[in-house]
Amino acid sequence: MGNTHLGWKAWISPILLILAWWWVSKSGHYSTDVLVPPQDVWLSFKELLSSGELFQHLSVSLTRLAIGFLVGAASGVLFGILMAVSSQTEAFFLPTFQALRQIPTITLIPILILLLGVDETFKIIIVFKSAFLTVALAAYEATKGVSKNYFEVAKIYQLSTYSVYRKLVLPAIVPPVFTGLRIAFSRSWTILVAAELLASDSGIGQMMQLGREMFRLDVVMVGVVITGIIGFSIDRILKLGEMKLIPWQNRQLS
Amino acid sequence: MPSIKVILRNFSGVRGLVIPILILFTWDWMARQDATHAYAFSTFSQIYAGLSELLISGELQNNLYASVGRALTGLLIGASLGFVTGTAMAFSRVANILIAPLYHTIRQVPLMGLVPVFALWYGNGDTSKLIVVSLSSFYPVVLATYESMHQVEKKYTEVGQVLKLNQWRVFQKIVLPAAMPQIFTGISFALAFAWLSTIGSEILFSAGSGLGNLMMNAQQASRMDILIIVTIVIGLMGYGMTLFIQKLGLYLFRWRK
Repeated sequence: MGNTHLGWKAWISPILLILAWWWVSKSGHYSTDVLVPPQDVWLSFKELLSSGELFQHLSVSLTRLAIGFLVGAASGVLFGILMAVSSQTEAFFLPTFQALRQIPTITLIPILILLLGVDETFKIIIVFKSAFLTVALAAYEATKGVSKNYFEVAKIYQLSTYSVYRKLVLPAIVPPVFTGLRIAFSRSWTILVAAELLASDSGIGQMMQLGREMFRLDVVMVGVVITGIIGFSIDRILKLGEMKLIPWQNRQLS
Repeated sequence: MPSIKVILRNFSGVRGLVIPILILFTWDWMARQDATHAYAFSTFSQIYAGLSELLISGELQNNLYASVGRALTGLLIGASLGFVTGTAMAFSRVANILIAPLYHTIRQVPLMGLVPVFALWYGNGDTSKLIVVSLSSFYPVVLATYESMHQVEKKYTEVGQVLKLNQWRVFQKIVLPAAMPQIFTGISFALAFAWLSTIGSEILFSAGSGLGNLMMNAQQASRMDILIIVTIVIGLMGYGMTLFIQKLGLYLFRWRK
């Protein structure tokens, strides 16, 4: 159901929706507090942009996201591979790992607030946890899925450990790990926005929360659109990276 | 005498317990340190006392009941709407052209990011929670329904034409049965999302009951014991639901190889 094959027709319904939104808000049936006109959202977007407020919030949120996600994803890949190749690590960690996986990350928000307070640490840890578990699982399952026969062939050819990983494990696990990365990213972004809504003094989520408290639906709407665009763009970047790294998969953008 | 293999298998089970036990005892030990630690950690006996307190007052049961009810209601609403929407998109080109772009655009917004919007429109309680939960189960069912029916349609409708079946019979006798397993997979995803967003919406919308609300109250009262108990209950419920729907799928589609 990709939009690509629809061409220009993909624009029909979004434009109709915005027209309907504009028309209904103009008709005056609803107060502008409840149904803010689209042009007001655009105006507050420009205002937030020129005052530097939006940029400020975004850079705070994206820094949290980058630190938590990068550290979480990198250690997740390593831990997942380790758990798959070392039966000792697997025996010690897999049960705990599987149990933790059953707990939705958002459930950990109240616990982490009580343990760490509402500072930066809490937000970075929650993004880290969300990225780490998802990526580790993808890497673990992908590495487990590499056929034993390949390892035997590698043994016959007396490949060094480095070559085994470089030539055999890595190419085999890159596609599923990339899928894991994209899922992990979307989860991390959602959980960060939730954490910022709940307890924060800065960030895009806090901007929306403040808008909610002050009945500024226009500010909230700007936040909704921006979080959507960021989620979408980074997913696209990961997808493009995937296509560059794994040309043989020849997947379509969807 | 048990074989060596059996002993080894038992031993590997024991190894899996090492880390949980270490965590538990560190936790208990931390709670017994000074007052600042006791504030954040809680001992086994505190957790046990908290559990019996929650059970006797009925708080745990009531809130669990509220959350499960919300998740299932949201799943029912979201999955039904998703099924209808997906079907419309699979059979009507116009519906697909109109709905697909909106579906893909709105889905980009993190679900929890919509919380302030619903809060302003529908308040801080049950209505907003239910919308979030329904929406979370709507997305996967639309996708599964559309894709499975879209694939089936091409392959088998010709058979229907040969047999001179009308559109409704083709849908009922050919498309629906063939698409059902994949739609069911979509519904099982939807159940997982519904449970997740139930807890999430209860944490973010402060009014009303539910396990998430119980947690937020416990957090404000610094009751780590209650937080731990509720977290475990949420994990177990999620696990139980996943297991249940997997078994149900195996049973329903046992005719498939």
